[in-house]
Amino acid sequence: MKYALLIYGDDAGWVDLPAEERARLRDQELPRWYALFEELNKADPNVLGDELAGRSAGKVVRIRDGERFVTDGPFSETKEYIGGLFTIELPDLDEAIRLASLIPAAESGSIEIRPILQ
Amino acid sequence: MKYVALIYSDEERWDALSEDERRDVYARYTAVASEMQAAGVMAGGNELASTRDATTVRVRGDETLVTDGPYAEVKEALGGFFLLECESEDEALEWAARIPAAEHGAVEVRPTHVDPEEVQL
Repeated sequence: MKYALLIYGDDAGWVDLPAEERARLRDQELPRWYALFEELNKADPNVLGDELAGRSAGKVVRIRDGERFVTDGPFSETKEYIGGLFTIELPDLDEAIRLASLIPAAESGSIEIRPILQ
Repeated sequence: MKYVALIYSDEERWDALSEDERRDVYARYTAVASEMQAAGVMAGGNELASTRDATTVRVRGDETLVTDGPYAEVKEALGGFFLLECESEDEALEWAARIPAAEHGAVEVRPTHVDPEEVQL
């Protein structure tokens, strides 16, 4: 079964930090992300992942009665919003849960696992 | 530049469609996906199962908390996405507007390139 691991987090505190502090925290956490990538690759060499730009970089498109409306994003009004995702082929949900729990962002945000329809 | 087009729509609306209506919707998605392909902007995409089939994982301290259901109960849920390789945001927005769900739901376009200054880990 192919799954999407959707990474939800909140960058509110993050963007207020001084640049050096962000760089320091990022460097500190990078090895954990690289370890995760290795683990995901072991599970499925065709795993795909994308990190999305912050919420302020989003634009939302709607068509109503043939007219196009574009507003600033994000679409979701929830406190946490999607900041990245993986798609990965796995034997079962248990394995998806195990890998989701290794994503560093699971410790501050949430990982939503969704089967992919094919 | 790579963009993701996140497709949000009302799941109840989809549930209420007949088989024929769903076939029509899928045909429209196939058509727009082929056009994206022909234009060389299509870099991937997936349809997600309903939020009814979602599982949410959080790690707090040493504990892994697993709950059935989506991260948040919302009226319009993420139902799928396209990855688009476009020259500009305007071009990505043009394509987003052609995704059928834009007509009743919403499509959020976000670059996948990240300013390291802003990135949250």
